[in-house]
This record gives sequence, C-alpha cells and structure tokens, in this order.
Amino acid sequence: MILKRYIPIAIVAIFGSLTLSAWFIDNETIETFANDDATQFFDIIAAFAVFLGALNLLKLQFIKFIKKQKGWQYSAISILSFFFAFIIGFFIRGAYFVDDKVFFTQEAALESIIILDVSKEQQEEPYKVQENSFKNLSDAKDFAIKQNLITPVDWGAHVQKNGSLFQWMFKYIFSPLSATMFALLAFFVASASFRAFRARNFEASLLLLAGIIIMIGRVPAGGLISSWMVMYLIVLVSGLYIHYLKKKNNVTIIFTLAGFILVTIAGMITGWPIDKPSIFYLPLLQEWIYLVPNAAGSTAILMGIGLGIVVTSLRYIFGLEKSYLGE
Amino acid sequence: MIRNLENLIIKIGDVDRRVIFVLIGLAVLIPLLTPVSLPIRETPTTVKFYEGIEEIPKGSKVLVSFDYGPSTRPEIHPMNVAVLRHMLRNEHKVYISCLWPDGIYMALDALEDISDEFSLKEYEDYVLLGYRPGAEAVIKGLASDLRKVYTVDANGKFIDDIEMMNNVKNLNDFAYIYSGSAGYPGTFEWVKYGGDPTGVRMSSGTTSVQVNEVIPYVRSGQLIGLLAGMPGAAEYEKLVESPGIAIKGMAAQSFAHIVIVVFIIFGNIAFFLKQKKERKYSK
Amino acid sequence: MFVLTLSVIFIMLYEIRLTKFTDKLPFLRSIPGLKAIEEAVGRSTEMGKPILFVPGIMDMNEVETVAGVVVLGHVANMTAKYETELDVPVARAIVMQAARQVSKEAYLTQGRPELYNEDMVHYITDDQFAYAAAVNGIMQRDEPAACLYMGKFFAESLLFAETGNSIGAIQIAGTGSQTQIPFFVTACDYTLMGEEFFAASAYLSQEADLIAGITAQDLIKVILVIVILFGTVSRALFDLGLVSFDFITLIGI
Repeated sequence: MILKRYIPIAIVAIFGSLTLSAWFIDNETIETFANDDATQFFDIIAAFAVFLGALNLLKLQFIKFIKKQKGWQYSAISILSFFFAFIIGFFIRGAYFVDDKVFFTQEAALESIIILDVSKEQQEEPYKVQENSFKNLSDAKDFAIKQNLITPVDWGAHVQKNGSLFQWMFKYIFSPLSATMFALLAFFVASASFRAFRARNFEASLLLLAGIIIMIGRVPAGGLISSWMVMYLIVLVSGLYIHYLKKKNNVTIIFTLAGFILVTIAGMITGWPIDKPSIFYLPLLQEWIYLVPNAAGSTAILMGIGLGIVVTSLRYIFGLEKSYLGE
Repeated sequence: MIRNLENLIIKIGDVDRRVIFVLIGLAVLIPLLTPVSLPIRETPTTVKFYEGIEEIPKGSKVLVSFDYGPSTRPEIHPMNVAVLRHMLRNEHKVYISCLWPDGIYMALDALEDISDEFSLKEYEDYVLLGYRPGAEAVIKGLASDLRKVYTVDANGKFIDDIEMMNNVKNLNDFAYIYSGSAGYPGTFEWVKYGGDPTGVRMSSGTTSVQVNEVIPYVRSGQLIGLLAGMPGAAEYEKLVESPGIAIKGMAAQSFAHIVIVVFIIFGNIAFFLKQKKERKYSK
Repeated sequence: MFVLTLSVIFIMLYEIRLTKFTDKLPFLRSIPGLKAIEEAVGRSTEMGKPILFVPGIMDMNEVETVAGVVVLGHVANMTAKYETELDVPVARAIVMQAARQVSKEAYLTQGRPELYNEDMVHYITDDQFAYAAAVNGIMQRDEPAACLYMGKFFAESLLFAETGNSIGAIQIAGTGSQTQIPFFVTACDYTLMGEEFFAASAYLSQEADLIAGITAQDLIKVILVIVILFGTVSRALFDLGLVSFDFITLIGI
C-alpha cells in the first residue's frame, strides 16, 4: 500500500512543489534542478523506457508474423524495417571520407583511391595508390588504410553526417514516407470540409462564411478577386434571400437591379480599385478575421486551457487526483 | 430542366469522397507540372519579419533553429532557406541548432541548397551545432551556458576548438534568434525559455495551422513578425528576391483551396435542395 | 506572478474546504461527450467490435496525456464491466506503462482480472506520422465500433478522425490542443474542448474534491473576466483623458 500509493503521491507532491517553487525562489541549486536536472531525469527515464516499448512492439509483431494472423505481411515489413534501422544505426558506420567525398563502406572508399593500371609498364605492380604501386590489391588496401587516406566518421556523428548511410535512409525512405502521411491531410481536409461545412443554423453559416473567406483570402488567387466582384456577389445572394423571404419576383428583381446599379456607380466614381473598399477585399478581410475575432477567441480558449492545466496540475501536486495510479 | 439540374446538384452533394480526393490531387499536381505565376502580396507580419532581420547590425551572430521534420518540410524548409540566404547576404555569422532529431537533416539539406551560391565554409560562415534531446531543457541550457548543452558540434569537433565559438557563452551573445518550427518543441519554447528571459530579439516561421496560437506573441511583440506557413514563405521569398519552392507552390495551394470552396458551395446548395424536397414530400 | 499563483492555490483549497462542509455536490453541467462514452462502449459491446482508445502522442510530462490516461481508467472500468475488447496503441513507452497500470487496476476493481491482457496497451513508435499510419491501419483492419481520442494531438488528429469516420465508428475526442480542436469538432461526433477535457476526471468520478477544483477554476475565470473588463474600461477612460488612473499600468502589464 505504501509502495503503490503513498510513495508515488509523495514523489509527485515533492517534485511538483519543487519545480513550481523554482520559478520564485532565487536559489541556484533549486533553479538548476528545475531547469536542467528534472528535465534530464525525465529524458533519461524516457530513453530507457524506449527499450520496453521496442521489445513490446517486436513481441507483438513476431507473434502476428509467426501465427500468420490478419495483416502478418505488415508485421514482416515492420520487423525488417526495425532491424534495418537498428543495424545501420548501431553497427554500421556508413560514412567514410576520401577528401570531401563520402562513401557508405570502407570498400567503396578504397575502390575510389586504388587505381588499376593495366599498361605494359605497370604489369608487375598494377595497383596504384597515389604515387605508390603494388603487386597485390590487399597490399594496396593496407597501404591506403595505414596512410589514413580514408577517414571514418566518428561513432555518434555517423547518424548526422551528410552523405552517410543513415542519412541516406532518412532522406530516401523515412522522409518520403513522413511527407506522404502529412500530404494525406490535404485530401482529408477537403473531404472533412465538404462533409461538415453545412449552413444548418446561424453559427454554422458564420463558420462557413469565415472559412471560405480565409481559404480564398489566404492564397494569391484571393488577391485577384476585386472587392467589386465580392460586392456584386453579395447583392446577388441578398437578392436570392429576399426572394426566399418575400417570394415576389418584382421585389427581387427591383432589389437586385438597384443593388447592381449602386455598386456600378460607386465603382465608376472610385475608378474600380481592386482592394477598395477594403472590407470587401478578401486578403484584407481574412487578415482582420485572423488578427481580431480569431485572436480574441483563441486567446480566450488558451486562457481556459491554461487555467485547466494549472488546476489539474495542482490537483496532482496536492494528491487530490490519484487516477493516474489506477485509483 | 431545372429539376434535372437540381437532381444533378443533389448527386454532387452525395459524391463519394474519392472523387474529391482525385480532384484535389489534380488541382495540386497540374499547377506544379505546368507552373502558373500568381501575384504574391506581402502581409504585415511577413514585412515586419523581414524588417526585423534588416535591423540586425551587419556581421552579427544569429541563431537559427531547425525544429521541423520531413512531414512539414514543404512549409518550413523554403522559409528557412530564405532566412539563411537573407542572413548570409547581410554577412551574419550563423549558428544552427536543432530541437528535433530530423532537424539536423533539414539543416544539412538547406546548407546544401545555398552552399554554392555563398561558397559556404563551415566554421567561417556557419557552425552546425546539431541536435540535442531535451526540448526546453536545451533552450534553458543555451540561455545559461551553451557549453552545458553542446560540448561538440554535429561533426564531433569540440566547441572550444571552433574559433567562431569564441565569445559565445549563451543566448545573450546572439543578436537574433530564429526558429523554423512545426510544433513541439518549437516557437513557444523558444519564446518562453529563450527570447523572453534573455531579451534577445526573436522571431519564427510556423506551419499555417499554428499561426492561430502564435499570433498573440506577435501582437505582444515577443515575436518580431511571423512567417505564416507556405504563403508566408512565398511572401518572404519575394521580399528577399530569391523565388523558390514556396512561390511555385502557391498556385497549387490556390487551386486546391478553390476546389475545396467550390465543393463546399455545391454541398450546401445540395443540402438546401434536399431539405426543400423533404419538406415538399412531407406536406 | 507569485501572488497570482498563491491566489489560485488559496481559491482552490478554499473551494475544497467549502465543499466538505456542505452536503450537496457543486453543480456541474452535463458534458455530452463524457455522457456519450458509455453509449459508445455499449454500441461496441452490441456490435461485438473493439474500442480503440488513443491517449495522444505526447509523453506523461504533458498534463493532457495524464488526463487522457485518467479517462482511459474510466473507459477500462466500462469495458471490464461489459466485457468489451479494448485496444490502446500508444506512442510513448512511459505512457504504455502508466496506461497498463490504470487499465489493470480498472479490471481488478471490476472483478474481471482474467479479461485483462497486457497487450491491450501496446507501443507503436515515437514518430508522429508512423504512429498515425499504424493507428489508421488498426482502424482499417480491426474496424472498431468506437474511437476515443483523449490527450495531446498535433497534425495527425484529422488523419485519425477522418479514418474513423470512413469506417463508421462513433468518435469522441478530448484535447487541450487548441489547433486540433477545430479538426475534431468537424470530424468527430463529440468533442471535449479544453477545460471540458480536464474536467473529465471530476465529472466521471463525481468526487467532491475534484468537482471543487472545477468550481475554483470557474471562480478564477470570473475574477479574470472582471479584471479584464475593468482594465479595458479603465484604459479607455485613461486614453480619453477622463481619468488619471490606468489600472493596466498599475498591475504591470
């Protein structure tokens, strides 16, 4: 009971209070603990915990593969990918330098240095390394290695080095796969918008309108739509709405015509500037929506979330919330 | 005929989402294959960002952080490349850090993109500090003592052996901090633990989705301007006069947005027509 | 800042103390998303399909992830009671351990330890989109009847929600990630936004102490609103030259 309940609660309370008070107490030890040590403790624990996760992943994938359960082919790919990345990260250096060039293997690097000269003069010693000639390939290789003509990248730096095998894996396998998954969002946003943006009520209509303004206003194509086009559109939509309300053709026609004439006269007087009146120019309108109502709403939600986090965290620190222990 | 038109619109309203996927795919692919030039209009936040960098005294030390991965590369990479170009043109000394493990590869690619243009020499024009795990702990470490976090750079060379690192003890020794950020850790952490406590001028480039969250920091002056997603990157490429992928991508983005809006409008018209039909038959 | 923090703490402790002295629990409005969890579990039980629970993609150092694991405990209670299959793919090894602990306790509490299987909660990968791909694959293959997304999410939120929608699952999401709330609202049946998500534990447990924390939160919000309104009016009057007193400058903003 003490081990499973009171000790964890005490740990949370002590470290939570310590980290919170580090913001206010001007003591170097506490500040160092809160700013550096506490985060590093967590990172170390998380790093070791990855082993548990990886073992769990391998266990489940192997079981699926061996028992040929549904989707076992994907498990085979998962296992192969895991070991591929593991081996080239931990066991294969994958980066050997010859001057500025990088080669994946030492053999490839040696091949670039050793020249095979089959001319009559060099028949005895055909293998050349710089100015030196050798009878056997192995002698030439030994010489190249002894002379440090090939520089292997340090372990650790081999995963960050430009041109290394690890970087190759990242650039040509991992990056395209990640980018593909992110690219799915473009399609999903389209289908989600199409399905969800319906003018069911006033708020939904407002959301729909704001969404359209921002989508069009945010891109260069929106800048090509003049404010006068938007005004004509508003007159047309208002005309349709008047027709829906009054159901009288005369009223609709008069209203719409009057609207068109007014807009045309205003345009002719002002000279049809593309971005005036600015309230109808989509890029400026979307900027206003972003900077004013959107920022206000975002800030309010942010404050609510911030308060929620503060109170929830205090509940954990004071031991009021014990659900994370399973209670 | 009107009835046929109504029925057609109702059918469009019930279209299979795969049709939408195909049309979006075409809307993005065609402008990329047959480039369409569209005028780019700079927004105030991008102009402020540009001016913020122009105000840095020439030859200053600047920290550029690559805090994104391959998934958000289309949005953030163009802006980071443009920022590097701008910094190097103004003869600043660039120090590159990464809070994301993928960031180091993005940094290597960005440097490769501009290497020939500026005849870049490592340790003379830039230092690639590399990736360190720890998120905000890294920033806090940089704010107090850089050598606590980085003892060697990305190539394994000792920091103290790099001449460019002389007189660089912590964030206060930089004139400017820039973070190209796609999430956590990124802009917020740099503002909270980097820019704010040290008072060093900073700004950021973020994905479009994050702009909402970051705008309060721009309004409060904690960030000097902002590069907002790919449109922001395109605007900035125009300002630094080096058109790149962002400008090319704007046509694709424009057409994709237009296709989505057209579908939304058709969907709503179909919705109203359906409602009208249902009311008619229920009478 | 110190005064503010202390004030928040005192208000919270005061509310908890006040609740102890009254018989009635403070009023908590109904949260449709939380009510729908039981409906979702029931639906899965009837259809004989599993429930998919995604506790976010961040680690236990995020409050949202802890809140998500807390909700998992309640869901696990229900799945133990109704003998419904539960699948919890996680993106962090520490979250895996915590989620296992919470699920195991839930099954033990319900007296169904034989139904608990450690592999219900399984680790996928730390990488955001690799995790999203794996979870989408699970959804497509296993076709859960209910998908619950409770925790911190980033761009993968819409990937989950749209895939869940395509398989016809009932979807309930809860997050404090402001940028992802719109995606969840668009694509899910129910969404717990921000504070509603953090109130989940109090709502589901109906414990006086926890509900008192929510009441304290509301009280702090009311005080904040009053301060903002007062500050705005005071600043407007100061700028117009009608008063010589500026509340905003006084409090140091």
